[in-house]
Amino acid sequence: MNPVLPDEAIELAEAAGKALAAAGGVDLYRKAEVDPTVPVTAVAPLLDGLGIDDLDPRADEVALAAGAALCEAAGRAALPYPVAAVLVRDPDGRPTAAVPAGTARVDHVTTFDEWRVGTVDGTGGGIGRPAAVLGTRLGPFVGDLAVQAGTDPAPAADILLHQVLVGWTVLGSLERAVAVTVEHVNGRIQFGKPIAAFQAVQFQLADAAVAVAGLRELAAFTLWRVGDVGAVAARADVLALRLHALETARAVLRTCQQLHGAAGVCDEYDVSILVRSVQPALRLPLGGDATADALARAIAADGFVGLFPHGGGR
Amino acid sequence: MDFDLGEEATALRARLRTLIAEHLPEGFLGAFTSDPADLDRTQAFCRLLAEEGLLTVAWPTAFGGGGGSLWDQTVVREEMWAHHEPRGAQYMGLNWVGPAIMAHGTDAQQAQHLPPIAAGEVIWCQGFSEPEAGSDLAALRTRAEPVGDPAAPDGWRITGQKIWTSYAGMAQWCIIAARVGAGERHEGITMFLVPMDAPGIEVRPIRTMLGPHHLNEVFFDDVPAGPDAVLGTVGGGWSVIKTALAHERVGIARYARCERLISALGAELAPHWDDLPAGLHVAWARALVQVRVARLLAYRTVHAQERGAVPDVAASAARIAVTQCDQSVAEVLASAVEHRSLEAGCDAPLHGAVEDHWRYAQAATVASGTIEVQRMIVAKALLRGEPV
Repeated sequence: MNPVLPDEAIELAEAAGKALAAAGGVDLYRKAEVDPTVPVTAVAPLLDGLGIDDLDPRADEVALAAGAALCEAAGRAALPYPVAAVLVRDPDGRPTAAVPAGTARVDHVTTFDEWRVGTVDGTGGGIGRPAAVLGTRLGPFVGDLAVQAGTDPAPAADILLHQVLVGWTVLGSLERAVAVTVEHVNGRIQFGKPIAAFQAVQFQLADAAVAVAGLRELAAFTLWRVGDVGAVAARADVLALRLHALETARAVLRTCQQLHGAAGVCDEYDVSILVRSVQPALRLPLGGDATADALARAIAADGFVGLFPHGGGR
Repeated sequence: MDFDLGEEATALRARLRTLIAEHLPEGFLGAFTSDPADLDRTQAFCRLLAEEGLLTVAWPTAFGGGGGSLWDQTVVREEMWAHHEPRGAQYMGLNWVGPAIMAHGTDAQQAQHLPPIAAGEVIWCQGFSEPEAGSDLAALRTRAEPVGDPAAPDGWRITGQKIWTSYAGMAQWCIIAARVGAGERHEGITMFLVPMDAPGIEVRPIRTMLGPHHLNEVFFDDVPAGPDAVLGTVGGGWSVIKTALAHERVGIARYARCERLISALGAELAPHWDDLPAGLHVAWARALVQVRVARLLAYRTVHAQERGAVPDVAASAARIAVTQCDQSVAEVLASAVEHRSLEAGCDAPLHGAVEDHWRYAQAATVASGTIEVQRMIVAKALLRGEPV
């Protein structure tokens, strides 16, 4: 029993963290909102330097963990780049993403000319090209793909692996959100003392930190399950991670914004960028209720690994 | 990275489950039921575990234990709690009174107290909390006055009141924290090992929703204790308490019972599963995820201990998750069986375990350190920039 990522993954996460921080960290997201070429001109070379093109998380368990660690680092920086999708690229190098049924909607859509996509239930997908960009505050880089008829959807294993890596990206964003909130409450003086001195603040932060710690353990466990039995056999585990990531994000980000006061909605503060940048991951391809429903069905069909047998009642 | 506890742990788990299935009746709900035979069952089960060499699997071999790994200890903790703690009131003696005596006891104390604990023949209770000293244990007021020369006393006289004392009515021995001298806070706190049949001890049961015999008030009125009753040094009680609590860092494996009940009720509801509200299916799935996360946070703490760390903050984080999980699962189980959640006894859902679990879960965020204290520990570390 060892819940710690392999050394190679930890080293990559550290290298990625340093490289992304040196390049501006969360500022890269701010710049990309103004200049849509930033992902290709500034972010892609950074990731190239970190060896993303040589990293295939399907290769072995160490590569799988390294991919997760890279996504975590990307999440910490609110990186305006589809790192998870690129790691699960198809044999021709197209990024692979899970999309909602009926609308092939992805984040960072214009970063690539072609995508390989698929739905979580395996009913749709194929090769798609960017057709429209939302350009909204919650989805500045989100857009829809025009899927070519007759093309094959992404394999189920890749779709599920994409979701695991997105879970790690969300985890990174939450870890960073808690960290910047700790900095804020330690520095923000009200009533003559740092607001960190108030127990109401401390308890909210404690709950947020415990929630993130729990998500991290679940993310590591899910990675191990995927490496052990394969993503398709670990479908319930993958959906469990997605559901928990969504629900943890909702609670933790709410706390982090609240404890920033009005600054929590100001883009000058990193927490606002982190909250906005993570929204597409929480809404695509499934929202919370749909994910919970899919999980319940997966448990009923396949069971759920634990100390005792579970069949969701069957 | 590997989340498999290993072959030895798996074999130990299977062996424990076999013994439980063979020696405890279906629907066993622990020692604290209205059926006095249940206490006898736990006493007999402890003797059986002792004969099988499993009662002290976690104790060092130097003290006659099995020298089991932290993961062996984890498996024992999980299986015992999952099956309604068939060691009954003895788990406290095994889990930390014994280890505290190993760490701080004299040779004579070790020779007197460890063998009966290891044989499953003695119940210990713990005299820590007082009416004015709950979460703030260092505020305790119970006093121990030296008899004769204070520098070399012939013995002690203990006077004070303890409260929330589990098993006091059935215990033969008590480990009690009392203050010697005029000091404040941690100063002067001293641990004593006192037989519960000593003159001047009165136990008054507290009527609670947890069931009979569980919580008690214990009054000490000039209770005599010999010079050899001090565990550790006079005034050194706080370090004994810290040693004791170190053995209980991860706390009770509440998640294991949660998971067992979810599993068992799932099987019981299986024929009607599709007729249950869709919301319940989803709540069920959420509960399973919450239980998994709680277990993984507990494992993280054990792993840190295994590597020689003192994972106080991680343990507090785990306890926050585990105790909240206990209460969430209680609601899901009760909701699943609807009005029958009010029923107790053998004919009730899961032989009464749904009702029993809900009642016990209400104390989960208070027992052995409130969730508020755990949050304070986590927040303090977080604000200092330490990892949680």
